[in-house]
Amino acid sequence: MDIVYIVVNIVIFLAFAPLFEGIVRKLTAKVQSRQGPPVIQPYYDIIKLLGKENFIVGNWAFTLAPLMSFAAIISVICFVPLGYKANFLTQYADVITIIYLLTLGGVSILLGALSSKNTFAMMGASREMVTMIMVEPVLAMTFFVGAVKVKSLGIDATIFSVMNTGYSWAVVLMMALYLMALQAFVGKQPFDIAEAEQEILEGPFIEYSGPNYALFKYSMMLKQMFYASLFVMVFVPFLYTGVYALDIAIQLCEIALVYVLIALVGATNPRLRIDQAVKYYAVLIVLALSAVGLSVYGI
Amino acid sequence: MNTDIYGNLFTAMAILAASAVISPIVAGTKRKLAGWINFIMVTIAAIFLLHISYAVIFKAVPQGSTIINLGPLGVYFLVDSFSAFFIAIVSFMAVMSSFYSIEYMDHYHDYSLSGFYFNLPVFILGMIALLTVDDLTIGFTIAWQLMTIASYFLIKFEFREKNVVYGANKYLVLMELAWALIVGSTFLVSGSSMGDSLHIITENLGHTSPVMMYAVYGLILVGFGFKAGMFPFGQLWLPDAHSIAPSPISALLSGVMLKTGIYGIMRTFFWMTPHGEGVHFNGFLWGTIIASFGVVTLFVGTVQSMKQSDSKRLLAYSSIGQLGYIIFAIGASLVLFNSESQYMKLLALVVIIGALYHVINHAVFKGLLFLVSGSVLYTTGTKDLNKLGGLINFMPVTAVVAGIASLSIAGVPPFSGFASKWTIISSTVLAGSEVTFLVIFGIIALFTSAVTLSCYVKFFGMTFTSTGTEWTVKKDIKEVPFMMLAPKVVLTALCIIQGLLPFVYYNVIIEVFRNSNISTLTNAFRHAEFNNHIFSSMSGISFTVPGMAGAVSSAAVPIVILIVVSLAFVIAKLFKNSGGSEEREAPTWLCGYAELNNLNRYPDRSMFASLKGFFWWTGGNVKK
Repeated sequence: MDIVYIVVNIVIFLAFAPLFEGIVRKLTAKVQSRQGPPVIQPYYDIIKLLGKENFIVGNWAFTLAPLMSFAAIISVICFVPLGYKANFLTQYADVITIIYLLTLGGVSILLGALSSKNTFAMMGASREMVTMIMVEPVLAMTFFVGAVKVKSLGIDATIFSVMNTGYSWAVVLMMALYLMALQAFVGKQPFDIAEAEQEILEGPFIEYSGPNYALFKYSMMLKQMFYASLFVMVFVPFLYTGVYALDIAIQLCEIALVYVLIALVGATNPRLRIDQAVKYYAVLIVLALSAVGLSVYGI
Repeated sequence: MNTDIYGNLFTAMAILAASAVISPIVAGTKRKLAGWINFIMVTIAAIFLLHISYAVIFKAVPQGSTIINLGPLGVYFLVDSFSAFFIAIVSFMAVMSSFYSIEYMDHYHDYSLSGFYFNLPVFILGMIALLTVDDLTIGFTIAWQLMTIASYFLIKFEFREKNVVYGANKYLVLMELAWALIVGSTFLVSGSSMGDSLHIITENLGHTSPVMMYAVYGLILVGFGFKAGMFPFGQLWLPDAHSIAPSPISALLSGVMLKTGIYGIMRTFFWMTPHGEGVHFNGFLWGTIIASFGVVTLFVGTVQSMKQSDSKRLLAYSSIGQLGYIIFAIGASLVLFNSESQYMKLLALVVIIGALYHVINHAVFKGLLFLVSGSVLYTTGTKDLNKLGGLINFMPVTAVVAGIASLSIAGVPPFSGFASKWTIISSTVLAGSEVTFLVIFGIIALFTSAVTLSCYVKFFGMTFTSTGTEWTVKKDIKEVPFMMLAPKVVLTALCIIQGLLPFVYYNVIIEVFRNSNISTLTNAFRHAEFNNHIFSSMSGISFTVPGMAGAVSSAAVPIVILIVVSLAFVIAKLFKNSGGSEEREAPTWLCGYAELNNLNRYPDRSMFASLKGFFWWTGGNVKK
């Protein structure tokens, strides 16, 4: 029975991630007084890309990278307790495993960029790696704030720590920090520094086309949805009903709200330079450390 | 059945010594034959040594301290399961390195190999001796000097290069300083004399005044800290020595010689600790000091590594970083072991298992990475990442091997570094609920493993993918010969096995501690309660915390992760092929203005420029 939850996870993520992306694009357009594409445009994009000609550079790392990126994010999604249900796999991993698996996704992007031999791609890769290094601790500490309180790094125990032990000052601080890091997690303005379309032409993805690019694009959307859903699961667990389908529906609505926030912030902020962003992340890390410290003392 | 442990040990040492005599004589005329002789004799010695390890660890052959008379001197030897564990690693890596040397050393046409084949077995002999002597004066001095002087000449192999001689001399001076600190410390112990065994020193330490005790432990920590590459001592010699030595030697230096420092630190702080009435060994304080040194070492070493453009220097700095993980784990274990609660004591055991597991893992993947950079140097003649690039199509096997080694050291599941780093980080974070600073340290360690990843993305990307050699290397680039591939493939297989089956190694390490010479740690491992809370079974590793009945506090099962990722990979593949699109090769597109060339490509020095700038204060910067 537990295995069904995993399938549900994957299906829901695959089905909804492009829709949320479409909402972001539509909203961004509205804020900027444009008409904008239809909400289901990202589905069209992916379908079209799948049928297009696939340009490759000619080494196996280039072909491997998009597959690995997609596989990594799907694996992460398998472990997520969507709808407040821990699944069959949850007992086999903990949050540290999740963090390392997420980095596997990031590494694939870098591998693809580096093997594409393009100068712009490498610029993007360099920035992507820097971003990854600096925001990963914030993600880790989101988990650890709960972990030190419940004395467990188990995925369900950690993610449900707020649900089970209530809000503390540490949790509130961490929640604020998570929101401040959210744009960086999902790679939207002001932190879309690695792709930076107008500046380095989609950076790491510049040489990718067709199905390879579809894989990358889809895994980026899935990653964004993962971060949005993580916020919902960790920090706003109070609409818990106990009915699985209903819980998922409620969570999807909440995730949609998070996306609205992402879109609004993204549409109204200009991109930062990477060195400015690094300083910003450093401040977040220090504050997050103090949140963990507060949590240890039960504040 | 009783194995003659010391008989085997001295046979192995004699074989190594014989190799040091025979191979150099042959090396004058038949260079490869000398390599083969050396390899075969090292292998025979290693078989003896591995047999000792097996007997001591698994059959629990009880071993007391034994005095062996070398002429007028009586030297204490002690082989217990803890030293046997390190002996096994040294012997295995020595075999790999010797095999690789046969082909690799042959390409130094201008240099005679006689010295090399004299010093290599002596170096191995010295390391084995250091792991088995049981004093800190006479026997220790002989072993340390054999190891240091032999490795000095090995590092100075290319003696016609000025910077090589400089680096090697610095190494020698600092190692002699470290020796002086360690030997000097024993004279501060009241009532001790030359040639005392560690057991006697420990008893005497109990009667020494507290101030002197701090001095003794401090000197020993700094002494072995020099060897283990602890910040700031490691930075003084390690990057220079490791980057100038021939690659198989770098692999030995980094893979196993640094571990003798770890061995020394662990022996000192877990075994050489007096207990009883009125004894002032403050384990909590020393643990805090070691853990702090460790965390600074791992952070600074790794960040410095990220800044390097010379591939061997990058690996050398990263060795400092990885050793930092081990030192940190030792310190954390000592802290937790000396705290009150039962829960913390349990975590102390988990951390120390992680530390030893990282010792094995690091020996394997760092040895492998040095062999990879040696192969690249062999075939292209450069180790400058700014010049390298695009070797993936020319050296496919080396590229795959390097990729797996890089993922292993970065701790990406399910490869080998993951299990050990996971153990260290998860247990220290959990310990944070009572010892606050450990959770902070754990987070720094986690952050650092992302930086490690960046080092190796750079190392792999700038060597094997990307571009560069088309314009910078005039030679004909091809894959290295089979003789140099074989040891790398073996080590790669180990990286995968160690990643997937951590429970096998866990059980071995638990046996190591259970059967080692008696200490407080050994008793804790023999304690029955331990079995109820740490599980290492077919399903990977997990542990629970007392008070949380039923729930598993933390678990990592690399095999399950591998299965999940593989299945996801299949989904990705199906998804990719669903549109039925065709594939075509196309040249790099730079907006249509220019072809890719040596001037507009992205060099290594530009990688992570913003992060390098942000961390300028950690030192180790490379001039542009």
